[in-house]
Amino acid sequence: MSEKSTRRQFIDRSCRIIGFAAIGGAAGLLTHRVSGNAVYQVDPAKCTACDLCRTSCVLSFSAVKAVNQFDKCGYCMLCPAYFDVNSAPNERGIPSGKVCPQDALKRRVVGKVDEEDPNNNYYEYTIDETRCDGCGKCVKACKPPMGNGSLRLEIRYARCVECNECAIMIACPALAILRVPVPGISPARSAEEGKHA
Amino acid sequence: MNPKNVEPRQFSLRDRLDKSWFWPVGIAGAFSAFVTAAFRTPPGARPAPREPGAAAGRLGSQSGKPAQSPGKLERKYALTAVLGGTSSADPFRRSLVGIDVGTDDRIFALGDEEVRIYGAGGKVVGRWQAPAKAGCLTAGPGGSVCVGAGNFVEIYDAGGARLGGFAAGDAKAPARITAIKTYGKEILVADADARIIRRYDRSGRQLGVIGTQSKTGSFILPNKSLDFDVDAKGVVRATDTGRHQVTAWTIDGAPLGRFGKFGMANPEDFVGCCNPVNLAIAPDGRIVTAEKMISRVKVYEPDGKLLAVIGPENFDPECIHIHLALDSKGRILAADPVRREIKIFSLAAKTGNESPGGLHPPADGQLYEVTRG
Repeated sequence: MSEKSTRRQFIDRSCRIIGFAAIGGAAGLLTHRVSGNAVYQVDPAKCTACDLCRTSCVLSFSAVKAVNQFDKCGYCMLCPAYFDVNSAPNERGIPSGKVCPQDALKRRVVGKVDEEDPNNNYYEYTIDETRCDGCGKCVKACKPPMGNGSLRLEIRYARCVECNECAIMIACPALAILRVPVPGISPARSAEEGKHA
Repeated sequence: MNPKNVEPRQFSLRDRLDKSWFWPVGIAGAFSAFVTAAFRTPPGARPAPREPGAAAGRLGSQSGKPAQSPGKLERKYALTAVLGGTSSADPFRRSLVGIDVGTDDRIFALGDEEVRIYGAGGKVVGRWQAPAKAGCLTAGPGGSVCVGAGNFVEIYDAGGARLGGFAAGDAKAPARITAIKTYGKEILVADADARIIRRYDRSGRQLGVIGTQSKTGSFILPNKSLDFDVDAKGVVRATDTGRHQVTAWTIDGAPLGRFGKFGMANPEDFVGCCNPVNLAIAPDGRIVTAEKMISRVKVYEPDGKLLAVIGPENFDPECIHIHLALDSKGRILAADPVRREIKIFSLAAKTGNESPGGLHPPADGQLYEVTRG
């Protein structure tokens, strides 16, 4: 009888421990995820701008967007990320084609404007995120030695739906999608939030 | 009924299990299901169908389209020597950021945080520690060497003893020196932040600036780097990378002219966003330029006529700079900072009406052919 009781007690205790550990673990995981201080992000040093960000994201219009780091940007007149430098030049010697298939890379002259000679102007390049699908063509074209490497891909938190396992991270051959702690930045909590942008 | 006589109830195993672990495990299971439901992929959101061939490297390289063949050019250069490469006795292990040729054609190289001097036969005959942030150097008169480091100019004698130095630029806007040359007793530095060339005497007193007498008041430098050279007559040639031009100035800063334009097909033109990135003047007055994106070196007449192309197969495709210098015989020294080696190209053949003087066939007799990779 006492032997039987001991075994039962052991099973009782074991089951209780396993049960509470499962609850605790799940609660911890939930708390960690809900705290929102870790997000998926692209490591620009590893990113090869391979186009999988566009095709792999669970959203029909990828949460990954190109961004321009202005302090690295050369404000080029002939930006290799804006112009397809291999396209036929127009009558002013400027390439006629553009790199971005969505025409999401926009530019405007900053500073003193020279209407006669565009070579004398500085151009600021910005991304129209309503058009950018994260294909990374501009990022690839801006990489050194062609450009200064000021363009990079970023997961926009306002769009990211924080999948349990990021589909882009699974697909990325360069392992460039990281889970990074970003205190104070909370990713969108639902697909609904992600749909607005 | 005496309770003491009541036999304790025998719980069945099922009863006991029901009481002990069913609820904790049940709760855990329900909780896990909730967590899974909370974080599962949103309903309706399915991965877009992968395009066939959508993979890394699918996109074509911007420079993938080969440039036009240079055709018949007047000069051909042959690779005759390599210094500082991985197979040499004294390889550059971490960096190679500058090069110049001094008196007696001694080669001064800046890399691995030291100034290294190569004598006849490519042997290292001297070296000393370079200042922190050293990014360029020039061999001055009397065997002196000037090193540009951040916003500082450091002056050394031929043995590496420091003779002096000064800070370039203004107190509020210190210079960022990307090239340095001497002209007589003057020291000229390229200030890439101010996008001008500054002239100093050896005490650090600014004598003038070059590059302000233009429509924009400065060079346009998307690549944030300015290179220049000055010939014996005091004509300064500088890269204007944003305009894809080589510019010429008097030592007082008056513009003399410019040549060059953007173009991907014609080898006479400069490719990419911002080229040429480096420049040197040959003893015969011809101009040698280096480009990035298509890593190549070209030789021009002062009026902009292309004479020779040393093709991209000689340099690392990732080169952002190819530092240039020429010796008294007109040999081109090109420092590849990615492969960390100095390649020496000699004139191997030339046609046209040029005088035959200065022809230096390579020692091994192998003619360098201009080809495109």
